[in-house]
Amino acid sequence: MKPALKFASAALVVGVFATVPLWGSAVLVQFGINALILATLAQSWNIIGGYTGYPSFGNSVFYGLGGYGVAIAMVQYHLSFALGLILGATLAVLFAFLIGLPVLRLRGHYFAIATLGLAEVMTAIVSNLEIAGRNIGLILPLAKGDALFFELSLALVVVTTLTVAWISRSRFGFGLIAIRENEEAAAVMGVNTTLYKVLAFALCSVFSAVAGGIHAYWITYLDPGSAFDVALNVQMIIMAVFGGPGTIFGPILGAFALSAISEILASKITSLASIFFGVVIVVAIVFMPRGFADLIQNFRRLGWRYFQENLKAHRV
Amino acid sequence: MDTILEVRNLTKRFHGLQAIDRVTFTLERNQILGLIGPNGAGKTTLVSLVSGTLQPTEGSVLFEGKPIHRLAGFRRALLGIARTFQVMRPFPGLTVLDNVAVGALFGAAGSARQLAAARENANRWLHFVGLDHRARQRADALGGPDRKRLELAKALAMRPKLLLLDEVMAGLNPVEIEEVITVIKKVRDQGISIVVIEHVMKAIQSLSDRLLVLHHGEKIAEGKPEEVLRNDQVIAAYLGSKRR
Repeated sequence: MKPALKFASAALVVGVFATVPLWGSAVLVQFGINALILATLAQSWNIIGGYTGYPSFGNSVFYGLGGYGVAIAMVQYHLSFALGLILGATLAVLFAFLIGLPVLRLRGHYFAIATLGLAEVMTAIVSNLEIAGRNIGLILPLAKGDALFFELSLALVVVTTLTVAWISRSRFGFGLIAIRENEEAAAVMGVNTTLYKVLAFALCSVFSAVAGGIHAYWITYLDPGSAFDVALNVQMIIMAVFGGPGTIFGPILGAFALSAISEILASKITSLASIFFGVVIVVAIVFMPRGFADLIQNFRRLGWRYFQENLKAHRV
Repeated sequence: MDTILEVRNLTKRFHGLQAIDRVTFTLERNQILGLIGPNGAGKTTLVSLVSGTLQPTEGSVLFEGKPIHRLAGFRRALLGIARTFQVMRPFPGLTVLDNVAVGALFGAAGSARQLAAARENANRWLHFVGLDHRARQRADALGGPDRKRLELAKALAMRPKLLLLDEVMAGLNPVEIEEVITVIKKVRDQGISIVVIEHVMKAIQSLSDRLLVLHHGEKIAEGKPEEVLRNDQVIAAYLGSKRR
């Protein structure tokens, strides 16, 4: 597709989405908000995990800090929601720089394990902070209507995706991709690897934090356990990888596809839903290990052989 | 003459191992220095110390008169130093063209900063090394000789002033070696100074203005190729000492 046509069709899809609160049922709108927030999280994970090649398990910390930024600003200081988002994003960026500098020196599994601990640490810290309501949490002022949150979440996904689209064709993004592909070679070619990695981490922290802030205000309740949930981090990684890490639309497709599958399973066969969800993911990883975006790109050329090739390539 | 690179008393120790031992040499602008020595002599280590992949234990490296041995690798790349790796390090998931485009996007100051311009640049360098027909393939689809060409194109796209080539001819057949020699000479004609590590004697003799011989991390000889290759110590290092 021509870039202009691609852009126009993407704009059309966003336009149609924006009308959902006008005609959709309450359930659909709420499902939409959740899916859009997960899509934002998967997309921002895509910046550090997909493009830079650093599989972060610390993104749920950014999400939690964003939530607490909003909650503390609104409950303790009676500030506006917008100021709360700014506070949350600022906290997340500071955290990204502070933690990113030491942790981004580690690679692969070591990086994953180091970031895995961050959520636990934050839960412990926040549980003991008076201003954050200790382990009881904070109750936010009641907000008006789901439509606003739907549009906010949609706008956030769009901004995050535009940022990723810019990354994929910019000098900055090529630096990140070079780091993912071979960090030592990237450095020798003039990429300031430390700076680029920390900037990528900080960039993805902003979007995750804003997503956390919107979610907290929507749910109107926040406690340390749900704010810094590692399971959420696992979810965003699965969605990004299912859709296609390091692609512009993959994580969005992954987030929507998996949200829909888990929603359908949960409503039809409640108790076994998580087992079926697990099966779907295993099958997806076996048959399309490079994600949905790669499938779409190559299925037209290879047809069903695409799945065979993947099976062969990975010796399953 | 105008000195581009000056290495003084450069030393690198890995724990107990003395990899490079007080090596001193200079490289004049627009010259080719051949770096030879048996396996394990420290040739790659020396190149890594100049390119910033490794930091020296002692001694100094001056580039255009300024000390650079404490600078990070990427800063040296921005100053105009490029290297290739003996064990090739392409960006496997990127196309051949984009591999080279990274060099044009980053590299020495004044390179292309926009993707479109960088790709255009990259195309020219691929043509220069004879790899333009594979521009759209993924880098990990390339075979050995083409990977060597890619390493060279990536380094050239950085528009360096000093190019460090670590065995770009290893594993090539005689025809391919001739091609690479022609390319390297063309590079020098563009005003780039070059350090070449090579085991192919004929190639290094025909390329180098001067030769430097390393053995156990020490410089054992330096000078014009024909003189150095007659040196008894050099012959002993390569072929074992003469029987008495």
